[in-house]
Amino acid sequence: MKVTPENVRDYIQQGLACEHLHVEGDGRHFQAVIVSKAFEGKGMLQQHKLVYQAIGDRMEQIHALSMKTLTPEQWAKQA
Amino acid sequence: MDEKQIALEKIRKTVTENPVVLYMKGTPQFPQCGFSGRAAQVLKLCGVKKYVAVNVLEDKGAYDYLKFYADFPTFPQLYIKGELIGGSDIMLAMYEQGELQKLIEPATAQQ
Repeated sequence: MKVTPENVRDYIQQGLACEHLHVEGDGRHFQAVIVSKAFEGKGMLQQHKLVYQAIGDRMEQIHALSMKTLTPEQWAKQA
Repeated sequence: MDEKQIALEKIRKTVTENPVVLYMKGTPQFPQCGFSGRAAQVLKLCGVKKYVAVNVLEDKGAYDYLKFYADFPTFPQLYIKGELIGGSDIMLAMYEQGELQKLIEPATAQQ
């Protein structure tokens, strides 16, 4: 089964409450911008781990996921 | 010890006995994945002269079990002084902020 960006978005959303979530990809390589309150006070490694935990074993279907993780505050500054 | 314990022990030894270790697909000269290539490139930009690169395509134990070592499911993975720093996104972001160089310089100073 080919994984779509929508699948990846669902996987992340099911395990992590996101203020904003955008996923692009070609079925093997995906890029995600993820904004979540859960990232507040955490380093980048912990933030990425939260996303991987949300995806869980389904990560095996995904060859590569490049991600940009932001807190709502960082996201507001960027927008 | 079962296969997993042996693999995890080998990883522990590798990352604690070497200041900078990059687990990647392929080698720094011939990376087999764009993300691994980018990770090796970032280390080069940081001016790391010597580091241990483990090609997970030739190390079945690392390929199968590295994800359990620091609870991080993808390659590449960079370790400095035994601690997981992150994958290529984190490496690149830290390099751009000047943070990765700050970690690497003292770690490799004794070499």
